[in-house]
Amino acid sequence: MATQRVLPQSKETLLQNYNKRLKDDIRSILDNFTEIIKTAKIEDETQVSRATQAEQDHYEMHVRAANIVRAGESLMKLVSDLKQFLILNDFPSVNDAISLQNQQLRSLQEECDKKLTSLRDEIAIDLYELEEEYYSSSYSQWDSTDLPLCEAYRQRDSWASPGSSCSSTQGDREDVDGPPSQETNPQHHLNGHGTASIEKP
Amino acid sequence: MANERLRALEEVEKEIAMILQCAGNIVLELSKDKHNASFLDRQLVQFQSSVNRVENELSSQIRYLTQVATGQPHEGSTYSARKDCQMALNRAEYAKVKLGELGRTCEVMLEQQQQQQQQQQQQQQT
Repeated sequence: MATQRVLPQSKETLLQNYNKRLKDDIRSILDNFTEIIKTAKIEDETQVSRATQAEQDHYEMHVRAANIVRAGESLMKLVSDLKQFLILNDFPSVNDAISLQNQQLRSLQEECDKKLTSLRDEIAIDLYELEEEYYSSSYSQWDSTDLPLCEAYRQRDSWASPGSSCSSTQGDREDVDGPPSQETNPQHHLNGHGTASIEKP
Repeated sequence: MANERLRALEEVEKEIAMILQCAGNIVLELSKDKHNASFLDRQLVQFQSSVNRVENELSSQIRYLTQVATGQPHEGSTYSARKDCQMALNRAEYAKVKLGELGRTCEVMLEQQQQQQQQQQQQQQT
């Protein structure tokens, strides 16, 4: 609790310091500029010689101009400190910025995933047709007695348990076909999904 | 909202530069033998308005910060959303790579088929 009391006081002190700096710098600019204009006034009656008075006026104006510039630089530093303070401590705007960024990132992610999903669906349709065409053609390595893929895909949902006539025919096939077995194995995967009913345990 | 306040502070910086420039122009004009009164008036009005604007704007910013500032650090982040988005982009990139490989494989197959057809045609002609 003591720590929590200290921190807000330091923030409040800091803000009071900012106020003081602002007031002092503005006051410095106005006073020094007013004094420069007053010093520019030509006076005939002087206590010292004109040359001395002119030299004194010149030096005073030089110093006051430097004071104005210093006050301007101090104001710029104050603005920089305020910017920093805003970025770190202005919670409403930080929350808004974070939520806006999150929203943009999430929408980008959703768009990306939506496009990938539609791409997957299109490729799945084309892949099904291609597989249907390939495995029903003379180029495939299957025997004529084997079940075509499209037929197997249709019957997959109706098979309730693994192990059926297809698994026994698969055993014959693996004995007959040696090297091409690597090509036939993916046939068990219809559109990227494994057919558990065909695979041997 | 944050950008508006920061932009307002950047405008304040430009106003401070304008203050110094107006003060310099006024003194420069007074140093001449013949003064242009209208120019002096314009510069003086601009000087005063800039000073007032700077003071009002900075005071309002400090007042706002007095109301809003706490002693605690902000603990929000966009890390999770950024990571999810990065993963989605990685997925898309991976899909692109795989499709590229598939495309190249198809092209190779087609070239082989064309070569075989050409050889068969040549054999038939001979």
